[in-house]
Amino acid sequence: LKDIVDIHNLSDEEEKELMAKIGQAIYPGRKVEIPRKERKGKTRSKELTYSPPMKRLVDEHILIKKWIALIPQALEKFDVNSNEDRELILEGVNFIRSYADRFHHAKEEDILFKYFDENSDILKTMLEDHVKGRGHAKATLEALEKKDRQGIVDHLTAYRELLTEHIKKEDEILYPWMDGKLSVKQVGELFSKFNEADDRTDREGIGRCEKFVHEVEKKFRKEEVK
Amino acid sequence: MSEFTGCPGSRAMDFRKSEARDEAPVSQIQSQLRQWPIQLHLISPVAPYYQGADVLLTADCVGYALGGFHNDYLKGKSIAIACPKLDQGQDVYVEKIKSWFENAKINTLTVLIMQVPCCMGLVQLAKQALANSSRKVPVKAVVVGLQGQILSDEWI
Repeated sequence: LKDIVDIHNLSDEEEKELMAKIGQAIYPGRKVEIPRKERKGKTRSKELTYSPPMKRLVDEHILIKKWIALIPQALEKFDVNSNEDRELILEGVNFIRSYADRFHHAKEEDILFKYFDENSDILKTMLEDHVKGRGHAKATLEALEKKDRQGIVDHLTAYRELLTEHIKKEDEILYPWMDGKLSVKQVGELFSKFNEADDRTDREGIGRCEKFVHEVEKKFRKEEVK
Repeated sequence: MSEFTGCPGSRAMDFRKSEARDEAPVSQIQSQLRQWPIQLHLISPVAPYYQGADVLLTADCVGYALGGFHNDYLKGKSIAIACPKLDQGQDVYVEKIKSWFENAKINTLTVLIMQVPCCMGLVQLAKQALANSSRKVPVKAVVVGLQGQILSDEWI
């Protein structure tokens, strides 16, 4: 259980409580005192803090979370025969592919994850999530092509659920754990490599993604007021 | 004895009771210093050892308080030292730190300060230089307690 306890970076009290429960489950009725293992990196404080490159990834999650929070509203009254509604889904999938995948996930896959063991369970899980997300985006477009309303609803809803959990795991567990493992030098390198990746990105395209989310938010807010 | 009411950074304290801890089982500790000069007024921010480096900006007192300073912090890094309480001409410091960011293109800056309130001025100088700089760099602040313990270690 060392790796699991380590990656969750619990406070001393939380770790003690967890280990006591595990001890009780293995040896019912026996009082088992499990010594706390000294670990590299700090234990979690109440408020999560990140190094500058990790903070950038967390900040990028904010826009992705905004779009996935709007998906239920986008699907609720979705009319597969309406050009306007179909355009909204098309732009939504374009956001997923351009911003969430090419802009954000590529930074993780091409840069960040290279600093860690990509065969570790935690990174394999994250990479599998990325692959599943791409699958849902592709399937949504295929359903849109066939005017298959249910297919669109199913795949976008599945994408929303997948990404909601994925982002939570990264913000609360993966990134703080990685921050604890990275040296100061590696943090600086990551920061520079993220800058270079952003410089290579089509900034206008990213601007369009940001505009898309803000306009959908505004549109739905107006509809709520009506 | 009356209670001390002046600046906490100037308050006299005696740590001699805990003498046992200074018996390190090491015959000689290798210095990790790899440059000269080190005082912030004396250094050139574009000296070769700052180019692309991980730099330590250390309050003068830290080197005396932090037992593992050489191996835990200085190893592999370039350094400058300063005292935000006593040094004159600190506007020059801001320009030199800015030059590390922009001209020497340093990789990271770690500001090591003592826990006394006046030491926070060194972090403020680094923040000001970063705000003025066109090139951004990860900056970390580490606060050292009066008996050498690490009180906080945060990216800013």
